[in-house]
Amino acid sequence: MTGGAWLCLLAPLGGTIAILLGGNRLPRVAAGWIATSSVFVAFAGAVWAFIGVRGPQPTCGALGGCFYPPPGELTTAWTWLASGHFSVGLQLLVDPLSTVMMLIVSGVGGLIVLYSIGYMHGDPEERRYFAYIAFFVFSMLLLVEGGNLLMLLVGWGLVGLSSYLLIGFWHERPSAVQAAKKAFVMNAFGDATMALAFFILIAHTGSLSFESAFNVHLSSTTQSLVALGLLGGAAAKSAQIPLQTWLPDAMEGPTPVSALIHAATMVTAGVYLIARTHPIFEQARTVELIAAGIGALTLLVAGLIALVQTDIKRVIAYSTMSQIGYMFLGVGVGAYSSGMFHLMTHAFFKALLFMTAGLAIHALSGEQDIRKMRGLGKLMPFTKWCFLAGALALVGIPPFSGFFSKDSIIASAAALGTWYGWIFWLCGVAGALLTGLYTFRLWFLVFPGEPSAFVQEHHHKEGRFGEGHWTMLVPVGVLAVLATVGGWLQWAPLWHPFTNWLAPAASTLAAAAPTNTQEYYTSAATVIAGLVGIAIAWAIYSEERVKIPYAPFAQRVLENKFYFDALYDRLFYRPAAAIATDLRIDFEEPVILQTGPDLGETTLEAGGMVRRLQTGFLRTYVLFLAFGAAAVVLAFLIAK
Amino acid sequence: MSASYLTSILIWLPVAGAILVWLLPLSRYATGALAMLFSLAEVGLWIEQAARFDFSRPGLQMEERARWFGDLGVSYHVGVYGFSVWLVGLTVVAMAAATGYGFWVGRDRPRGYFALMLLLTGATVGVFVAQDLVVFYAFFEAMLIPLYVLIGVWGGARRMDATIKFVLYTMAGSLLMLAAIVAYGLQAHTFDLVDGPASGSRWLFLGFMLAFVIKAPLFPFHGWLPDTYREAPPEVTAVLSGVIAKAGLYGMLRIAIPKFPDPASFYRTAVLALAAAALVYGSLLAFRSTDFRGVVAYSSLAQSGLIALGLFAGTDLGFDGAVLQMVAHGLVSTSLFLIAGVVERRTTTGEFRLLGGMARGRPALATLLIAVGVISLAVPGSANFAGEFLILAGVFQRAWWWAAIGAGAIVLAAMYMLRLISAVLHDARGSTVADEALDVRPGELALIAPLVAGLLLLSAWPAAISHHSFFGNSPAATVKGQFK
Repeated sequence: MTGGAWLCLLAPLGGTIAILLGGNRLPRVAAGWIATSSVFVAFAGAVWAFIGVRGPQPTCGALGGCFYPPPGELTTAWTWLASGHFSVGLQLLVDPLSTVMMLIVSGVGGLIVLYSIGYMHGDPEERRYFAYIAFFVFSMLLLVEGGNLLMLLVGWGLVGLSSYLLIGFWHERPSAVQAAKKAFVMNAFGDATMALAFFILIAHTGSLSFESAFNVHLSSTTQSLVALGLLGGAAAKSAQIPLQTWLPDAMEGPTPVSALIHAATMVTAGVYLIARTHPIFEQARTVELIAAGIGALTLLVAGLIALVQTDIKRVIAYSTMSQIGYMFLGVGVGAYSSGMFHLMTHAFFKALLFMTAGLAIHALSGEQDIRKMRGLGKLMPFTKWCFLAGALALVGIPPFSGFFSKDSIIASAAALGTWYGWIFWLCGVAGALLTGLYTFRLWFLVFPGEPSAFVQEHHHKEGRFGEGHWTMLVPVGVLAVLATVGGWLQWAPLWHPFTNWLAPAASTLAAAAPTNTQEYYTSAATVIAGLVGIAIAWAIYSEERVKIPYAPFAQRVLENKFYFDALYDRLFYRPAAAIATDLRIDFEEPVILQTGPDLGETTLEAGGMVRRLQTGFLRTYVLFLAFGAAAVVLAFLIAK
Repeated sequence: MSASYLTSILIWLPVAGAILVWLLPLSRYATGALAMLFSLAEVGLWIEQAARFDFSRPGLQMEERARWFGDLGVSYHVGVYGFSVWLVGLTVVAMAAATGYGFWVGRDRPRGYFALMLLLTGATVGVFVAQDLVVFYAFFEAMLIPLYVLIGVWGGARRMDATIKFVLYTMAGSLLMLAAIVAYGLQAHTFDLVDGPASGSRWLFLGFMLAFVIKAPLFPFHGWLPDTYREAPPEVTAVLSGVIAKAGLYGMLRIAIPKFPDPASFYRTAVLALAAAALVYGSLLAFRSTDFRGVVAYSSLAQSGLIALGLFAGTDLGFDGAVLQMVAHGLVSTSLFLIAGVVERRTTTGEFRLLGGMARGRPALATLLIAVGVISLAVPGSANFAGEFLILAGVFQRAWWWAAIGAGAIVLAAMYMLRLISAVLHDARGSTVADEALDVRPGELALIAPLVAGLLLLSAWPAAISHHSFFGNSPAATVKGQFK
């Protein structure tokens, strides 16, 4: 099984290296197929690892303290970094949690890379794209397989790098370059807080293994700081408030990148991190609940902003933020398996939504404004029905997959039974209404009805089936099926193999395990909320029976994304840039850089003055001699 | 097994080569080729030395000692420790790349130029292996002379101003160090670094430290740095920031900290503050610099601060991280300045407002710059990340706020390095970027690619250095015990 883990990790890296070394000698089509096949090989490795995995249970004492053994099998290639008694191996962990993530990343990843072959066809730099995307899959697999905290951080940083490279793939667009930099810098901030948390652990335990980190006993303040550091990294990577502003801009990247990195895998890494390091968070329960609170807040804020977006990809991007908010809520309250289950179904339906959006964008020669797209469904029936499957899964209408995963999370909030538990619950249900509203706003604006003039003018058929190359249609079809049936794996009140599978690595907290009653009434509430949202969207955008309420202030706030960008610009970027500029103009140039020349001139001047003493006249020298001798004598006399 | 002659050969082979290159009336091409041959032979010899070095044995190895001024206690004493092996390796590799660059661009007056480059190689190796203070001082000064000439003769338009500044700063430091060396030697009746006792004199410590902080440099002693790095030929800047600057940091590690343990801990907070200031100040100025070399120059200032932070943390992780970071940053900085040279040759400028869009149609240049750039901003998984991580984890054990400042600087590093990458490679085509400006040529690739390959290897296995620099399981104790 460890062989499978290594195969899974290294196959995409091999793909990257092959494409890089091949360079221009490689036919463009070949690059795509190398990348795709390497990711599918990784999937085979993941299946191999999955089949062989066995995880031990944590042993809990009578007083409630638990000992967490390494929850799976560790495999070390070599000592990566060592100093004194501190040593970290290039180490993988194969356990229930990591294998599930491996399957999702390489499975969904393989489909999206296959889709890219059609989507990127004809781009002059196709090879570079496929080298990057295979490198991303490698990095993401390192993140989820990493067998200690440092390896996790390495994967964490490398996915950030590949995300930067792919957001800025079209590097002649200034907006893409800007978005790429923004994403990287915000994530570097998260990396830094994680590193600080690790420094605390090293100072106290001298190690970064999961085992020592999970079983360390620190003061509650220190423990909270460690958890906060990790939470900073998680929030940055998963675009949660207050580190969320980079994700919408990241839509500048090619659409398959948005599907893979900014929907299905990388942005959900924060959820994985919390599930993976849950013993640390459980010892700092307040911080864990803060994570849940951040999730609840983000899911509402993002859902609201999604209501006013006009770019098809940005609507889906805000929806991603909102859905990750649900996942944070789940893992934050302690329902790790529910959060992870939603991560999986979300990977299916959100990748599907992005890829169908990609088909639409392709057919319209790059247009992304939903106000121009009306009636596209008539020309693209396959896209339309697949999108509908994804949309229903997103809203959580049974029997589509989102229903099964989202409701459990909200029910877990109810299970807490505390005042904040009920606030979380209300946020979750309100979020379901918003989800129905913004998703079907998108649907009614784009697909039903007669094609608009713009669509008729710009639509063109592609591929043998008219809606795209077969490499694009097959993954969309597969994901449409998964988005529909993927949730049937688990329905919490009746059967829960997924939760059981994860139990050894991340078992749900007893306080967050909902009863069946809670599950039922939560499901009823969210489905009703979702249907109400759909109904409002239908009334406003399809039948136009209801006018959009006139609220210029609210609209302005939403269109400006609650002013986070402007705030951060004023608060951080501009002061830093101003300080740096002032330092250069007022200190570096006049003081530091002038010291040298000033010293030089002073030396020269002093030399010039001394030179004037060298008159060449004997009488001057005698005079100096006399003065000198007198001074020496005086000095001696005084000293005595 | 001992192969002690290797150390001396590593110093004197390039010096002999310098004399030969200078005397032989060869053609331009043959002169360069001969110099390259010597540089590559150095690399080969170093590989031999590293292979023979026994990392499991304590103390000095491959040692050579001959009486020089017996009654003064001066001897020609050279030898290597684990960390010196890595720094010598950095020197010979970076010097070979820089010499090759000079060969590639065809510097004027080749005999003088290549003789000086070889002389510089020998002197720098000498600094890293000298075990006698007088020998150390001699090499430290010998290193400067070729640099003065290389900058003053082959530099850019304002080279004379830059040279004068450089001379003034470095001479000021050197003279104080000379005074400190004499005073130390007279007190201890020996100038030997291995046998010499520890001293408690704060004045002597400060005398040494001043020379080292100017060389490294640390804030606010970097007045010479921006102009020098801008005006020197790119390959000279490359070794200046990649290798020569490390001599100052090496001096702290080899002399200032172990020989003056009490003053070092007395002034610890002050030095850490200077180092942190260099880190933050350098990062901020790098972020606002308007040209390629300016960004890399100030980022070198920041990196020197970071390394000094690790050294003066006085912890195991700090020392190991500092040595790792010296080598990793040495390779990064050498590569970046050579790439700056590559860009300048095609566009005649390093000004960002005149550059841009070079990635289109130049995949090799883009790949090299992006690879080195992201390693330099310490993307997790890179050798520089490993070094920074150890340093900050080490200084965290001293006090948390140093690490917090360092973590903040990581974010700044991302900002200035990505700005550099984009300004050169991305967005619209700059006004000086001609369509016919070529991608990196095979000759240039042959110089830069090995450096990048070295960085990738180190990224795959940073423990190669971090775990093989000091004998034993506690670098801090080894340094305190004067490496015995």
